[in-house]
Amino acid sequence: MTTSTRSHKVQKVLERMGKKLNRQMFGSLVACVHCGMCTEACHYVLANPDDPTYAPAYKADRIRKFFRRHYDGLNLGRFFPWWVKARSLYTDEELEELKDIVFGKCTNCRRCSVNCPMGVDYATFNRMARGLLVSVGIMPEGVAHVSKDQWEIGNQMGVLKEDYLETLEWMSEELQDELGDPNAAIPIDKKNVEIMYTINPREVKYDPRSIADAAKIFYAAQESWMMPSEGWDMTNFGLFSGDDDLGGAVARRVYEKAVELGVKKIVMSECGHGYRSTRCEGPNWAKTDVAVEMESSVLTMLRYVKEGRIKVDKTRNTESYTFHDSCNNARSCGLFEEPRELLNLVVSDFREMYPNRAENFCCTGGGGAMSMSEYTPERLKSGKIKAEQLKATGADTVVTSCHNCVDGLTDLIKHYELGIKVTQLVTLVANALVIEKKEPASKE
Amino acid sequence: MAIAELGGKQIEIDEDGFIQDPNAWDEEVAKSLAGTEGVAELTEDHWKVVNYLREYYLEFNMAPMIRKLCKTTGFKLKEIYDLFPSGPAKGACKVAGLPKPTGCV
Repeated sequence: MTTSTRSHKVQKVLERMGKKLNRQMFGSLVACVHCGMCTEACHYVLANPDDPTYAPAYKADRIRKFFRRHYDGLNLGRFFPWWVKARSLYTDEELEELKDIVFGKCTNCRRCSVNCPMGVDYATFNRMARGLLVSVGIMPEGVAHVSKDQWEIGNQMGVLKEDYLETLEWMSEELQDELGDPNAAIPIDKKNVEIMYTINPREVKYDPRSIADAAKIFYAAQESWMMPSEGWDMTNFGLFSGDDDLGGAVARRVYEKAVELGVKKIVMSECGHGYRSTRCEGPNWAKTDVAVEMESSVLTMLRYVKEGRIKVDKTRNTESYTFHDSCNNARSCGLFEEPRELLNLVVSDFREMYPNRAENFCCTGGGGAMSMSEYTPERLKSGKIKAEQLKATGADTVVTSCHNCVDGLTDLIKHYELGIKVTQLVTLVANALVIEKKEPASKE
Repeated sequence: MAIAELGGKQIEIDEDGFIQDPNAWDEEVAKSLAGTEGVAELTEDHWKVVNYLREYYLEFNMAPMIRKLCKTTGFKLKEIYDLFPSGPAKGACKVAGLPKPTGCV
């Protein structure tokens, strides 16, 4: 490709694209027949019916046109660009425009992907396009900030090790007080245990109640568990920024700690993108096999109830509840039935939201959107459909197994004045726990 | 970026309503911001939280851990949420004139 009329950044983006075109990407880039199914599927389109630039096929074509010019295989775009609407990229301004599309007009929720009859996974190549831009330093400020913290400090909120440990100690003390048992502490770096519990830094930085709730459940189940002093952040901005190297480095920290401490299983707290990144995508990004089992805490808690390891009293959760599927948990990782099964075990009044499971609409906070303030007005507007869905359930509280969704939904509920509360399964399970008084003399 | 009228002044805010220049903050601005976060009146307890957050931010250029906030002010975690229904990150930090916290919040 000639370089004379192209900016250096554009040149780098085009070169890098060639290295990112795996079969899935290539198929998605060539297969679109512009049938319009994706248009109906996208929450941005549904909230902006008069603006065609939100249509997934339209957004995808902004990427396709330079793919066709350089990489379509048949060289049609190279020799007959007018025929296949191929056009190369030339200027940094064009890259900035692309940034506003791939970061600002799509949350990578994959609802269009599952509704495409041709199998085009737009969200996945939208992520690839993000990665191309990030490789030349073009990204929203929030993404840059968080990525830097994850590279340098090892977690997405720049939490220092001593602060993390002090917070766990604090939660241990609260729990010991509440349960009247000095053994109710959170074990740190304990070797050869069953479970290493990993979290979202948001929990330790701003709201550690969910850590205390989880600890209480592990305590009640008499689980052999611990939290690691490092490698505890299972979130991964590599998923949002499209930077596979960052994704691999972050995931590897978790895997390596688990192996070092000889644990059997990594359990991840309720975080959709963290679950997908660590369990589903991380081994590919890190180019490594992971010999440790990985599980969402939703499954762990469900197992405890079903196996009788914990007792729950559903009458303690007295409100009406609906469930919001996180895109990453549900659409991308197939976690549909387990959260509902668990929810029905800990509440009496569950009301399904429609559509749901793989067809659920994004909370609008997906794809790292919560950290990109510049697009917040468009994001809130795109939440119209979700707000209507929520309202139609008539529930007092919406339950979700994702921290991003907690914040995305909280924003929508405030913006659309819905007056609905947001919570997670761990909180409801902890609240329903029936803990019997400890036997005064234990055998060991 | 947009301009909002807060505490009788024209102040630049981001798309999530957080003020951009910490120097533009004063008590009147805090009162206006509190209104947007479901806090009708800033009591002495609110000010204790807000003042600590602001002092910490001006010194370290970041929001403190919730642990530090509770330890220094003496409030329980639950009490912080009672004071600021939208939580320490989006509620209390906003009222104290801090920028929007980064990451999944």
